[in-house]
Amino acid sequence: MRDKKYARYPIEWLFPVLILVILFTVFPVGYAIYNSLHRILLVLPTTPFIGLKNYIEVLTSIYFKEAILNTLLFTVTTAPATVIISLGIARLLLTKFYGRAILRPVVLIPWAIPGSVAGILWLWIFHGQWGLLNGFLLKLGIIKNYIPWLMDARLAKFCVSVAHIWTQVPFASILLMAALTTIPKDIYEAAEVDGAGAFRRLFSITIPQIKGMIIITLIYECIMGLTSYDVVYSMTAGGPGGATTLLSYFIWAEAFKLLSFGRGAALGVIMAVITFALIMAILKAIPTDILVKE
Amino acid sequence: MDEKEKKERLEALESLHRKVSRRDFIKGAVGTAAGAGLLLTPGMNHLYAQLFKKKKKKKKKAAPEGPINLEFVVWQYSLETIQDNIDKFTAAHPDIRINLTGYPWPTYHDTLVLRFKGKTLTDIIYNGEDWLPEWAAAGWVAPLEDYFPDIKQYKDKTANYALADMTYKGKLYGLSYYADLITFQFNEKILTDNGIDPPDSWDAVLDACLKLKKDAKIAKPFIYEYDQNLPNFYSAYVSQVYGRGGDFFDDDLNPVFADSGSEAIKHMQFLQDLKVKHGLLAYSPHESKVNIAMNTGQHAMTVMFNYMLAAMNLPPSRLAGQFNMTLMPGSSHACLGFAKFYCMTQQAAEDEYRREAAWKFIEAFGGGDYRIAKRRAVEKGLGFAALPLMDDPDVIAAWKVWIDMNKFKEQATLARNGTQTEWTGMWSEFFRPLIAKGINGDASVSEVMDQGAEKWIEYKKLLMG
Repeated sequence: MRDKKYARYPIEWLFPVLILVILFTVFPVGYAIYNSLHRILLVLPTTPFIGLKNYIEVLTSIYFKEAILNTLLFTVTTAPATVIISLGIARLLLTKFYGRAILRPVVLIPWAIPGSVAGILWLWIFHGQWGLLNGFLLKLGIIKNYIPWLMDARLAKFCVSVAHIWTQVPFASILLMAALTTIPKDIYEAAEVDGAGAFRRLFSITIPQIKGMIIITLIYECIMGLTSYDVVYSMTAGGPGGATTLLSYFIWAEAFKLLSFGRGAALGVIMAVITFALIMAILKAIPTDILVKE
Repeated sequence: MDEKEKKERLEALESLHRKVSRRDFIKGAVGTAAGAGLLLTPGMNHLYAQLFKKKKKKKKKAAPEGPINLEFVVWQYSLETIQDNIDKFTAAHPDIRINLTGYPWPTYHDTLVLRFKGKTLTDIIYNGEDWLPEWAAAGWVAPLEDYFPDIKQYKDKTANYALADMTYKGKLYGLSYYADLITFQFNEKILTDNGIDPPDSWDAVLDACLKLKKDAKIAKPFIYEYDQNLPNFYSAYVSQVYGRGGDFFDDDLNPVFADSGSEAIKHMQFLQDLKVKHGLLAYSPHESKVNIAMNTGQHAMTVMFNYMLAAMNLPPSRLAGQFNMTLMPGSSHACLGFAKFYCMTQQAAEDEYRREAAWKFIEAFGGGDYRIAKRRAVEKGLGFAALPLMDDPDVIAAWKVWIDMNKFKEQATLARNGTQTEWTGMWSEFFRPLIAKGINGDASVSEVMDQGAEKWIEYKKLLMG
């Protein structure tokens, strides 16, 4: 039997780590909230307390409505698309075929590329004047004139979504691949004996067996979609107009383009609340047994 | 360690544990965090400043033992030439070393703000006319006139619009690196071959575009430098509105561009129609790409920095020699003139040794006998603010190859400044995406103008009361 006397100092042992958490999490969050309650415009000599005015100004600004709609649209399209594509890739990479050993690391490459660099790669593909895609389509005779992919509001939205999904698929594939390996093979064998086809096996065995991981991946991708910044910044910088301005980019623009650190901080807090609310909504929407079972 | 000692130690630890209960610990941790937060608040910074004021004043920095290292930050244009000029300067001044850092033009403003805000060592920078009031008000750049009264000698030798762009609250902040106009440029051969005169008005521009589309099968005769991240995206629009005789603000800095029937509204509508209704407008994200596009012969007209005419008209450009400029279309034919300049940071100004070294550098590059400006003008066709260079035979000889000097001088006399305030830079960042929407037809002209005016008024109230 363990002596209780020697197991009574958890706080003391945790203290060094808690200091780090306070320094790198509590303090920045607290400081952001503090900033959000002050008028911090870099060209002004003072930083007066203005209560919730930054929040009101941000929420009623013309760009906020556009940015929030863009962000939600971006998130609800890219997150499920990433999960679906990743599930397909994960299944493919678990299938034995010639060249699988080469394909597996190749699929991971986008994960190793920083988002800003990935953005530039996709810029070269989608560029209206010298982009790879236009050259390819023109050569095939599909188009007669170059398409300004990134200078048309609707096309630009599509292009940044494609680039973002490309950066997200590898990690999601790994998560789903790990989950797929846990499904016992005999279930599939039994299903095959019973005459279940590929789609039946997918919807009756694969998805139910890994739905917990699918939900986790979906939540993760929602967070990534909501906070995506680097790909958009390097591809379109929010343009044309505000067509691809996401909330995270808007935070940057408020702080470093419009020099309003107060509003930037208010936006950061708003974004944290939205992210939290969205995750809670997803968790609440799914049956409780799914995650527990996993 | 005997049993008694063990027991004593254990009791001591337990006593400590009792003294620091969980609640006490949490209280302490929150208190520490709050205290740390409070100590780092901007308000406390003022207190520190007061507390340590005397100490700071008494402290005199010793003279550096080796050469003085200066950080020179520029936007990325012709870095090899800059480095070559630096090498020549440091050869003549072995006590000064210059470390050159270049950032892309579209992100230059944001990057510099980060450098300033992060207190990254920065001594001399390229500055722009639209950023000077903002950076001066924030205390990031220093008025050279306060430290070096000799700088006044350059005022008489500087073009008026450039001098105004380098001056804030009556004090000169820099010496010019480059000054230019945003002009109307066209392919003279294409226009002549199709019996079109250089357009005198924007209606004439539309007629020319329609004729070129019909007769010369040029699908998009007008090409526009379209990138909302570029500060000159706004400047180019201003230049065109100036050509129409329009203005953006009245003498009291009230926005007049959104007034019904303003030239700014008319011109935005013109650009939107050219793009959406007639489909005659092509986009290009940067002037260097406009140059390439114009040299394909698929476009005949554009508006951009005048120095690009040199790039278009000189070998190895494919259609070199075919391009020309004319007065900005419109009733007044005015255009935007501006200056970019060498500026000293406040950081450098506060250190007497770095300040002196930085001034030597700025004067060598932006003043003196204007050797550097002349080199850029001759080699690259870059515009300049130094009036003596206007009559320099080498400059005239180099320029007449690619530009009609008389036409250029005529345009220069009609050039006007932009309106520069502490908030112009920030407002321009806000307004440029709106311009992009307006031209592209993603928003109505009235929406664009009203929203722009509203933001201007908001900034004005905030900064002027």
